[in-house]
Amino acid sequence: MKPITASAMLLVILLGALFIYVVEDIPAFGDPNSPANKWINLSISVDTTPDVLTGLNDGVVPDILAEKITDRGFPLPRGYKVVEEGGGWNVLIPTGERLYPELQEYYFIKREGDRLWVYRYSVPLRWETKCEEEIGTPNMVTAGLADYRGYDTLGETTVIFTAGVAVILLLRRRGKL
Amino acid sequence: MKKKPDVIINTIARLMIPFIQMYALYVMVGTEGAGGGFQGGVVFAASFVLFVTAFGITKGRSRLPESWNTALSSLGLYFYAGIGILCIILSLGVANYLNYGALPLAELIDRAMTRGLMISFVVEVGIAITVMAVFTSIFFDLAWKPEEDKGGEQ
Repeated sequence: MKPITASAMLLVILLGALFIYVVEDIPAFGDPNSPANKWINLSISVDTTPDVLTGLNDGVVPDILAEKITDRGFPLPRGYKVVEEGGGWNVLIPTGERLYPELQEYYFIKREGDRLWVYRYSVPLRWETKCEEEIGTPNMVTAGLADYRGYDTLGETTVIFTAGVAVILLLRRRGKL
Repeated sequence: MKKKPDVIINTIARLMIPFIQMYALYVMVGTEGAGGGFQGGVVFAASFVLFVTAFGITKGRSRLPESWNTALSSLGLYFYAGIGILCIILSLGVANYLNYGALPLAELIDRAMTRGLMISFVVEVGIAITVMAVFTSIFFDLAWKPEEDKGGEQ
């Protein structure tokens, strides 16, 4: 066996192993609580002490937790609000959009035993839950394609236009438009 | 070399093309059904491909002249980018690019409805026009043979 064949074989086997690992590792399809669909655990946790709990119940994220969140690079903006919700606390933040001034869900502080864990909601949550109310269509795909990710679609259309122009430049030889 | 027109192919193409184009319009317009601008545009381009297959390329070009085709392929992109600019201009610089909810139409009807209408009747149609024109243009450029040049248009 030539060395190049052996190394190619090795690469193929490694790639296959990686794919098998990925398939085993991703959350079950359609699991509504998986990281991709609902939230991500930021691996930030504190003990449940009485003053932390009273702070959260009063609508303030305690300093010990806020510092850890800021260290992770997701600082809490001004004007946030804490609302208790089954098994934890929702942290709502203002996003500064002029036409949609209401607060948006951002963090979830979950109580598990005697630890508090910080979760961050993933982007599709607003897209999934609010698209009918904000865009007036039950079709999530269209709402995402042309509205929430409008720039992306504009770029895709430009790519197709560029392909057409390239073919015209290469193959059209008749000097007449 | 001129091929003789085939009665079966011509009749079936004549029958199918209007339905294909109607289906393309159904796919491209509206936000509630499946599909969208890209798919609708490609289905529309497929109807031109069928026309050329059945009736020949010179007749196909006379139905969709090259000048129209070139103009249409950028017109759709102008629709899409233009509605984005209009959102900034008509809201006097308050809103972002492509923020359909800021159009003055939202004062008359619901804001959510404005966004839905703009998506279904401007953005998707714009995408569909560009995709249809570009795919048709690519097909015509690839299918054109030099000997057909003389018997061509006019």
